[in-house]
Amino acid sequence: MKKNNLSFWMFVGPVLLAFIVVQLLPLIIGIGYSFTDWNGIKSNINFVGFENYAGLFKDKEFIASFKFTGLFTLVSVVVLNALGFGLALLVTRENKLSNILRTVFFMPNLIGGLILGFLWNFIFTEIFNSLGSLLNMKWMMGWLSDQKTGFWGLVILMSWQMAGYLMVIYIAALQNIPQELIEASQIDGASPWQRVKSIVLPMVRPAFTVSLFLTLSNSFKLYDQNLSLTAGGPGNQTQMLAMNIFNTAFTFDQMGRAQAKAVIFFIVVGAISLTQVYYSKKGEVEA
Amino acid sequence: MKNIKRVVALACTLALTVGVMSGCKSNTDSGSEKEGTGKETVTTSDKPVTIDIFQFKVETKDQLEKAAKLYMEENKNVKINIQTVGGGDDYGAALRTKFSSGQEPTIYNIGGMQDAIDWKEKLEDLSSEPWVSQAFEGTLEAVKLEGKVLGMPFNQEGYGLIYNKAVLEKAGIDPKSIKSFSDLEKACETLESKKTDLGLEAVIALPGKEDWVLGLHMSNFAFSNEYKSVVDAFNAKTTEFKYADGFKKILDLQVKYAFKPDGSNKSINSVDYATQVEKKFALGKVAFIQQGNWAYGGVAGIDEELAQNIGFVPVAIDGVSDGKIPVGVPMYWAVNSKKTDDEKKAAKAFLNWLYTSDKGKEMIIKEFKFIPAFKGYEGDNLKPADPLAADILNFSNAGNTLPWVFMGYPTGFGQKQLGADMQKYIAGELTWEKLVENAKANWETARK
Repeated sequence: MKKNNLSFWMFVGPVLLAFIVVQLLPLIIGIGYSFTDWNGIKSNINFVGFENYAGLFKDKEFIASFKFTGLFTLVSVVVLNALGFGLALLVTRENKLSNILRTVFFMPNLIGGLILGFLWNFIFTEIFNSLGSLLNMKWMMGWLSDQKTGFWGLVILMSWQMAGYLMVIYIAALQNIPQELIEASQIDGASPWQRVKSIVLPMVRPAFTVSLFLTLSNSFKLYDQNLSLTAGGPGNQTQMLAMNIFNTAFTFDQMGRAQAKAVIFFIVVGAISLTQVYYSKKGEVEA
Repeated sequence: MKNIKRVVALACTLALTVGVMSGCKSNTDSGSEKEGTGKETVTTSDKPVTIDIFQFKVETKDQLEKAAKLYMEENKNVKINIQTVGGGDDYGAALRTKFSSGQEPTIYNIGGMQDAIDWKEKLEDLSSEPWVSQAFEGTLEAVKLEGKVLGMPFNQEGYGLIYNKAVLEKAGIDPKSIKSFSDLEKACETLESKKTDLGLEAVIALPGKEDWVLGLHMSNFAFSNEYKSVVDAFNAKTTEFKYADGFKKILDLQVKYAFKPDGSNKSINSVDYATQVEKKFALGKVAFIQQGNWAYGGVAGIDEELAQNIGFVPVAIDGVSDGKIPVGVPMYWAVNSKKTDDEKKAAKAFLNWLYTSDKGKEMIIKEFKFIPAFKGYEGDNLKPADPLAADILNFSNAGNTLPWVFMGYPTGFGQKQLGADMQKYIAGELTWEKLVENAKANWETARK
């Protein structure tokens, strides 16, 4: 190890430097700003202690967006992982189409979130409406015009985008299951469901750890899809946390308040993700 | 062997590091560098001066460069450099960077009251310029500090209810006769009753999704009567929301006759700008939309002929603002007061030339396609080409305008608070009393 010290630092150094400059330092500076009344422009910044933090509990919009984000995360983590795992099971079966299907399912992930938002905005408001009036189905009309449809719109959009990505992770895990375990279970006369439950699921557990973490943090931090699909509307009811923070900082010019929100946000997301990783890791087994 | 590996590794890392570093290098402008014509045929005795313009309007970048070239041909001693940052980029942030890096521009843009206060020490007093007396009433209010005029209006923009002439004629309505709110109400009733004959889907398209249409533009119909100018709104610590009732009528009318995708009021909130202007109005499916002169391009892009037959009717509060439409200045030119006297003089001369000389005026109308904020554009060759711009100029010349006081609302108040509440009101999730109460409280909190 010691021999390679130079090349170790040569490789790690640039990335570490970049990380410190663009991630760590802003985080620390940001925490500092959260105790001030800075508006993002002025140069005489006053220290206000915990005033920004205390104000958060009275901020109805912030609490509402916190709830909305929490619910969205809960639903999308479940839906996304179920979908991703299902797709992975589907395309790992011996089938002529499975290679094409893998590509197809993965494709949405290659499109940027903003573009996807606009695409789905068009689908929800235009195509759904036309279909709805054609088939006389009331539930397909007027999407994105209230909180409920905005919420499900976001869930559908996220699932469509990220399910393919999770699928790839699950495929890798599924293919890592030793063939002899499967064969042994077949000889013992296990049913397909028993096989999934007792062999496949425990063996892909590490993939679940990673996927859960990814979906959890991604759903919490969602911004661009939120912006282009609903822009937080109508009536700020589909505003997620990241957008609420951004608006506080750059629309209302309350940088200090926004930083306080961001710190809370950071702590919550960090705590939830770490807990999840800890418990998922604990249950992992090896063949 | 090991050494070679190490050297390769080192080389790779270095290459990566250099790549990272060079990514940070700033782009220097190479836009309008001098061609370097060595000819020294200076016709005037003036010393050579350079004017650096740092401006915001991307849409008219080429036109401005053309105008600058024309000016430089007439005045050989002046050299004008133009740099444009705008559109999707943050002009305000770029301007701050420009100043703090020491490359201060001679001419730059400010947006209004707040900018004027922020940049005060870098703003040259323009009060003695010849165009000041030509400016339309109210257009200079936002950049007047301590009696000094600190900015020159770029252009004017205005909005109201845009009508489709052909549809109104067919229904037997004369748009010129619509002046008050009751007139408008009657016209809407008539149109609604003849909807199928006229081929309309609805009378009005209201873009509930666009919080700026609701919270800034529509609310301005009420607030522009409470506050005489943008400055009054800017300085107001509290608001009475005096014309809330009239404002409710305007919103209710637009909701009542609005295009509703699934028939329910709440679905209005999914209608956006493109649906309103391009899919409904430009295709003749609605008779009215509340928009501004900027909508002309969108309509003309769909139906050139329809676009020639549109105009504005006022949205008034009965008995208070009959026959008036809100017209305002979105941006101002400013001259940097920290430059040398020669440079400042040349900068003022250029701006003056652009907006008051015959050649300049022609460019402003024909090339920039601006609605000028100045009088003296009455000649036949100086008529704006699009009917919306022409209509706004008519309202301006007749003095039938309301100020854009929404530019003096507390930050975020219009779009994110009032606009969002209006969306909830449309969806039936918030009562009107609560909306008014919220508006007053939000205004007061923000101005504390």
